[in-house]
Amino acid sequence: MDLRDRLARVAAARAVLREAEAHAQDHDAAAGDVASGRGVALGAPPSTSPAAAYSVHEERFDVPALGLEIVGIADPDPLTLAHLGLRGEPPRRWEDIVFLDTETTGLSSGTGTYVFLLGTARIVDGELVLRQHLLQHLGGERAFVEAIHRELGAFRACASYNGKAFDLPILRTRIVLALRGELAVDESHLDLLHPARRLWRDRFGSTTLRQLEASVLDEPRGNDDIAGSLIPDRYFHYLRTRDERIIEPVMRHNARDVISLVRITDRVARAVMDARRGRVPDHAPAALALARIFERHGEGDPAYWCYESAYVEGDPTIRVRASLPYARALEARGDVDRAIAMLETLLALGRGPPSWREQAESRLRRLMKVRWRRRELAPAS
Amino acid sequence: MRTDVRFPARTSLEQILDAFERDPEFASMVTRWKRLPAVAPRFAPFPIWLDERIVRTLRARGIDALYSHQAQALESAHARKHTVVVTPTASGKTLCYALPVLHEIAKDPSARALFIFPTKALAQDQLAELERLSTEMSIELKTHTYDGDTPPQARAAIRSAGHVVITNPDMLHTGILPHHTKWVKLFEQLRYVVLDELHTYRGVFGSNVANVLRRLRRICAFYGSHPTFICTSATIANPEELAHRHVEEDVVLIDESGAPRGEKVLVFVRPPVVNASLGIRRSALLTGRDIAATLLASGVQTICFARTRVQTELLVTYLRARFPQPQWPPELVRGYRGGYLPSERRAIERGLRDGSVRGVVSTNALELGIDIGALQAAVLVGYPGTVASTLQQMGRAGRRGELSVAFLVATSSPTDQYVIEHPDFVLGRPPEQGLVNPDNLHVLVGHLKCAAFELPFDRTERFGTEDTPGILSYLDEQGILHEADGRYHWSDQAFPAEAMSLRTASNDNVVIIDTTGGKARVIGEVDRFAAPVLVHEQAIYLHESRQFQVERLDWENGKAYVTEVKVDHYTDAGLSVRIRVLDSFASDGVTTRGGRSRFERAHGEVLVTALATVYKKLTMYTHENVGWGKITLPEQELQTTSYWLSLAPDAAPGWPKERIEVALAGLGNLLHGLAPLFLMCDPHDLGLSVEVRSPHTQRPTIFLFDMTPGGVGFSERLFRATDALLERAREHLAACDCESGCPSCVGPAYAIGHDVKSSVADLLA
Repeated sequence: MDLRDRLARVAAARAVLREAEAHAQDHDAAAGDVASGRGVALGAPPSTSPAAAYSVHEERFDVPALGLEIVGIADPDPLTLAHLGLRGEPPRRWEDIVFLDTETTGLSSGTGTYVFLLGTARIVDGELVLRQHLLQHLGGERAFVEAIHRELGAFRACASYNGKAFDLPILRTRIVLALRGELAVDESHLDLLHPARRLWRDRFGSTTLRQLEASVLDEPRGNDDIAGSLIPDRYFHYLRTRDERIIEPVMRHNARDVISLVRITDRVARAVMDARRGRVPDHAPAALALARIFERHGEGDPAYWCYESAYVEGDPTIRVRASLPYARALEARGDVDRAIAMLETLLALGRGPPSWREQAESRLRRLMKVRWRRRELAPAS
Repeated sequence: MRTDVRFPARTSLEQILDAFERDPEFASMVTRWKRLPAVAPRFAPFPIWLDERIVRTLRARGIDALYSHQAQALESAHARKHTVVVTPTASGKTLCYALPVLHEIAKDPSARALFIFPTKALAQDQLAELERLSTEMSIELKTHTYDGDTPPQARAAIRSAGHVVITNPDMLHTGILPHHTKWVKLFEQLRYVVLDELHTYRGVFGSNVANVLRRLRRICAFYGSHPTFICTSATIANPEELAHRHVEEDVVLIDESGAPRGEKVLVFVRPPVVNASLGIRRSALLTGRDIAATLLASGVQTICFARTRVQTELLVTYLRARFPQPQWPPELVRGYRGGYLPSERRAIERGLRDGSVRGVVSTNALELGIDIGALQAAVLVGYPGTVASTLQQMGRAGRRGELSVAFLVATSSPTDQYVIEHPDFVLGRPPEQGLVNPDNLHVLVGHLKCAAFELPFDRTERFGTEDTPGILSYLDEQGILHEADGRYHWSDQAFPAEAMSLRTASNDNVVIIDTTGGKARVIGEVDRFAAPVLVHEQAIYLHESRQFQVERLDWENGKAYVTEVKVDHYTDAGLSVRIRVLDSFASDGVTTRGGRSRFERAHGEVLVTALATVYKKLTMYTHENVGWGKITLPEQELQTTSYWLSLAPDAAPGWPKERIEVALAGLGNLLHGLAPLFLMCDPHDLGLSVEVRSPHTQRPTIFLFDMTPGGVGFSERLFRATDALLERAREHLAACDCESGCPSCVGPAYAIGHDVKSSVADLLA
């Protein structure tokens, strides 16, 4: 029996497995505008590098037209960036931060998962410049990785959506494999997933980028957007046919992701800035999330405002959750009486789970002592 | 009776053995009583190049010289030659590989080594030993185990800073190789790869491991390193060849141990026949228990080996019943097997070393080189399946300069009975070969995919002996790989290593759960292929001579629920096994002693389908049919390789069809029982089917097939060894003292046919 037949048999034994893994090939038309309606469109034919290993597509956007109020306009506030999870010395200009999103041939980490598309956005001269590097054939991976390594090497920091767990490890793998190099931006990394979760998970349940587009930006993605799970097979199909129309929806999907990332960053930054100026979100869960961020970074006033807002606007559950830190903030401001009154009320109403009640009672005892001691020490009137 | 003395009758081992020898009942069971003399050590000086810190530390430990085999291993490994050291138990094998590695790291702290142990427990043991050595030597050495138990937060540090990474093949396969970019420091500076317990890397597992090592070398080449392999192995017939199959380069063999050995007695025990008509012998487990109890009662530290987990548990229970509290300490006898918590195992190992645990009952888990010190006595309940394992297990007893003893108690299986009847099979002959077939297409293609995931393949690259470019272009057509610029890239979303397990699916068993009296208790297990016959619903399942009826079979989850019953019948289910020959690789006549060609042999690829349909109820002793029932279980399918032996046209001239049928069934049982002796495999690794008129050969045919999908090479070996196999079958049959057939030879006459023994004998004559 020849090798081919024997291989076919080996494969047949696993056919069931593969069938389950196979995805329907989706050949929808490649044309159509991006749903945002803000002029995001892939117009110009891609410029092709000399080796034809990869293509680079560039597009510029007017910053105010994207609805941005902080990103690319006001200088980034170091504390805001720290609030957003940036480690190390924060960059002083938005120009130093690259926003990125990758498309890959699979979800597993490991050396067999390729990055084939890197979308980046950066601020240049008041404009948002979107660049997309597309790996046109796997033989050109080294040149492609060199190019994106150079591309990212120009920045101090990067911003991503879930890049800490996904995009950056895979990029790092590709760079080690092709160049034995390292990735500088990896060290200072702004992963929007975490602040976004803190701000919006309570309100919207899910905090996928797509969910946030619909809920925060109020721009749900249309049906023409390709599902993420179909992307790897779409790319393999493209590799075999080299038909640009096949990969075009993936390019659009990626462009849209990068732009959304910038806009979500702007929204998160805006929420933080507003709160510090006293304009606390009136949505209790968001206020509570922000309060915690401020408290963690030692900004007492905005923390207090946010706790207060969370407590005042919140439903009973949120109130219980906000009550203990709110009491702490009140105590710090010397308002022991209000703290005591609040906890007494909640306890009297029978709110909260037993574990909370235990904590609340012990806090209450402590506050009573504080009040008593203050009265003792206070000059007799 | 005094109860304050722990061992009231503390007697020397010599006296106990004397008592055993004089006891007529015991003596009648013994088929061989062999005394091996003590062997003196042979020493060699430390190599002059060896780092002086190492020499100083060893001297401080009281080691002034190396055993000759250790010195040879050091020289060979130091000269960058792949080396395989064959070492009996307790011969100081750790130093054979630890010293070259320590020396290398002492000279160059950037050097790295990878230690591969077959199990996690062994890895833990070696980690402790290496840490002790390096601390005493004040050589800065960071050693870590990297396996499923390694906490995620520790992993990054191990990847970049560990000098010696200790792992197992499974972790290498799924956790390290596919993520090699995280291990750049290790792969760039990898000087040594230690492959401990090489003899365990045989069969399916070994074939997989050989491919994992191909992948490892491929990645090393990518990072520019070319590590030297140091392998250690128990005594097997072909250590050099096995090492060569794994390393795929020249290997230096070091097999003359310089370690000393005390005097040793080996006793082969065959329990007596208790039911002559059924050919049933006294249980090996009970006989083994009696021997172990005698030893333990006299204060002899004893290890018992049982063949399965369940038997291990039973033996512990039996022994504990013999040593009730408070007269005896509670921890006198402990069990030890897979499934125990690591901390429990460590405690037992410690207890054995310091002597607080006097007896331990183990599966083959303790056969490997876990440090439990040397015990005085070993009791093997059942032949462990291979000569190599037998020697390993017997070797667990044996202290330097002291007398030790090992008993082998046979069960009634043909394999055991053959071995007990022919003790020289264990004592006189080189043990089995370790067989691997890394080029089994199933195995090879699976690993080639993993390799392609790890690094793209060059069009001209070789991976194994099969036609690599052919496989690559096939996978390219299938869309699994994608060719670009002369290289094949992984082009699939899946993570291929995850879908492949290195170990056989042999743990896919059906567990038998006794629910008598409302309590659930596991009493046994049967392998899945045999389950439809043995534990279909309403089946009578015999266990330790008690009867159980299967109330419910949960096929999906592999559980059979039984309750104890007392009935006068047993059940016998027919399994209709059909074999379709897909391809015959080779066929040939067999020339037997008479010069007449009685048989034709062949091997090739087959599709086995098995379906159990009905069962019969038969009375005990008289075997009358008193009823029947239907079995509704799914058909099972297996594509594998098979060996087959068919009767030549004039093999049985003038025999009635019934006699041919009976003879064929008997011969099938006999060969199936004896073949594992040749193959160094478990009897369950080999399937049997007998066809009176095979559609393929058109003749009465016996099929012995590989139970592993795709096969691991047993069929071809049997094909080549046919003459020897038939010769041994003839001998065994002649030596069996049953009347007309028993479970130890051709199978019970009542079940197969009253003339089964004579018919088989005629066929083989």
